[in-house]
Amino acid sequence: MDIWPLILLNGLTLGAVYFVASSGLTLIFGLMRVITLAHGTSFLFGGYLGYVAASVTGNWIVGLVAGLVAAGLLGLFTHQVLIRRFQDDDMRVALITLGVAVIGTDLMLAVFGGTATQVPFPQEFQVALQIPGIGDYPLIRLIILAIAVVLGLAIYLVIARTRFGSIVRAGVDDAPMTSATGVNVRVVFAVIFAVGSALAGLAGVISGTLFPLLPGQDGSYLLFSLVVVIVGGMGSIPGAAIGSVLVGVVSQFALVVAPTYAFVLTFALMVIVLAVRPQGIMGRPA
Amino acid sequence: MSSSKQTSAHSGTWKRWVTTQNVVVAVVIVLGVIFPLVVDRPRFWLPNIGVRTLWMGTIAMSLVFLNKYVGLLSLAQMTFAGICSYGIGYFSVTMGLPIIPSIILSLGVGSLAGYITALIAVRTKAIYFMMITLALSQVFYSWASQAIEVTNARRGIAPIPRPNLGFIDLNDITTFYYFALFLAVLSYVIFRYTAKSQFGLAIQGIKDSPERMSALGYNVNRYRTAALTLAAFVASIGGVILVFDRNQVDPSFVSLDSTLNILVVAVVGGIGSLGGVFIGGLVFALLQNFAQDFTDRYMTLTGLVFIGVLLFFPAGLVGLGPIIRRLFSKRAKTSASKASSDTPTVERRAGTHNKKGQHK
Repeated sequence: MDIWPLILLNGLTLGAVYFVASSGLTLIFGLMRVITLAHGTSFLFGGYLGYVAASVTGNWIVGLVAGLVAAGLLGLFTHQVLIRRFQDDDMRVALITLGVAVIGTDLMLAVFGGTATQVPFPQEFQVALQIPGIGDYPLIRLIILAIAVVLGLAIYLVIARTRFGSIVRAGVDDAPMTSATGVNVRVVFAVIFAVGSALAGLAGVISGTLFPLLPGQDGSYLLFSLVVVIVGGMGSIPGAAIGSVLVGVVSQFALVVAPTYAFVLTFALMVIVLAVRPQGIMGRPA
Repeated sequence: MSSSKQTSAHSGTWKRWVTTQNVVVAVVIVLGVIFPLVVDRPRFWLPNIGVRTLWMGTIAMSLVFLNKYVGLLSLAQMTFAGICSYGIGYFSVTMGLPIIPSIILSLGVGSLAGYITALIAVRTKAIYFMMITLALSQVFYSWASQAIEVTNARRGIAPIPRPNLGFIDLNDITTFYYFALFLAVLSYVIFRYTAKSQFGLAIQGIKDSPERMSALGYNVNRYRTAALTLAAFVASIGGVILVFDRNQVDPSFVSLDSTLNILVVAVVGGIGSLGGVFIGGLVFALLQNFAQDFTDRYMTLTGLVFIGVLLFFPAGLVGLGPIIRRLFSKRAKTSASKASSDTPTVERRAGTHNKKGQHK
């Protein structure tokens, strides 16, 4: 039996989840030159709230929106209260968000416990789709793949084509100069930080639909997002897309080839990319 | 640094050593020495607070050294310590080597890990460096929790009893505490000595202006690699204390949580102060042991303390010293100028050259 197309498709859908999570991280880094280590916390927080909302209302879409909004608000709160004053000090921002992550991990363990939960989704999606060459494939995985592709295109178009996007791009290149032209960069920063966190929250809900939500995933998804962003090039949305697909596909193939060392092989990918191209695949030289 | 410059005007060899910094260090060492004599329940205090403070402090000190003198924030220090711990377990238990060669080999393996990490990460800067060391530390964690033939996967290697080294018997907890104290002080001396050596001045120059040092003919990356290897060596010393404290080694040693704990210790103690890490270690060990009595959420408490320190005392708890001194000292002016050079904050981004004047 030929399983490689199936593994490839699994890798792509996994890459879709990674992309949604890491696009938020790369947006935040691209504009603000800071790394938020609370990104995994936004991910898991969004996932749990999405789970609660979807369970209560019985509506998967409500769950998606709830996770998105909750994580966005968490990001906005973190930015406004804790890190706005230290925005130029990237190390301090990283460390403060790390503190947020430590607290978040602990509190989410206290509230949601250590057992696995899964976001419920509609009956009509719980079917298999016949794909030539592969056979039955869960429809929900394809829907999530589609969501990620649409989302990626939307982010790309917003940044490339709209006025807000051009402000963001200008801010990436030269924040003080953008500020001097009358743009309120502070507001842009706050919006980007909230949007980036919201994307992580959305990733949490869609990941929680495919796989169980567990404590500790905040750490592992933070790491996967970091790896994706390092591989793809910091601050680049196409880079995040390439990085996510690479990481997703490599980790799935590694699971088949060398199950014990799958995780190591995934990181080996990062080491190789760094050795050849320190700024990442789509990154610009620092 | 600045303190030695001020006092170098005085003649007399012993006076040169009587600086505020050295007096504080001496007091802290004396406190460390009398610690087993003054606590009420040595069987609780020595392992849970004393030894734990010492290994956390030693590992965190290697992180602080890199941050302060090289300008790199490495999140792999706990991993180097863990690699050394694994080495001791593997050489002495799995392979059955005598304990002293095992320790020496493991220190070498830990340093080698630092060297390899440096080769991968040395070209990157600041936040990139931090992320790559974090990712590499997770590579080792995932390997350690799966490589059953080397690390015995999740169960780890146990038991690793405290050995009788011949000249000292570490089975006795008080003896072991003094052994750990000796190693911690030794690590501190290594770093202090290195910082003042020609090599130390060169890396500080590189930290302030890599371009200028490069133009002067220094191979910037080679110096950074050497500093990282040295820091990995000291972290490995911490790993020696750690493995005999726990009497085993398992993947939790190198987990994300352990890595973050070391960072918390460094930041709370003071990320610009080599000795301050032991204050951070002490605070952390006390929190771990006693916060559980009144709350289950002691990690939340730790996180709050961590954020509080970052927001209000960026120089860490040792940063409080100069603040208090300034409040009470009549020579407010001199101590204030001294304080500013003694308490660097978390590393700022390139572009703001600090004016320590180390490179002449």
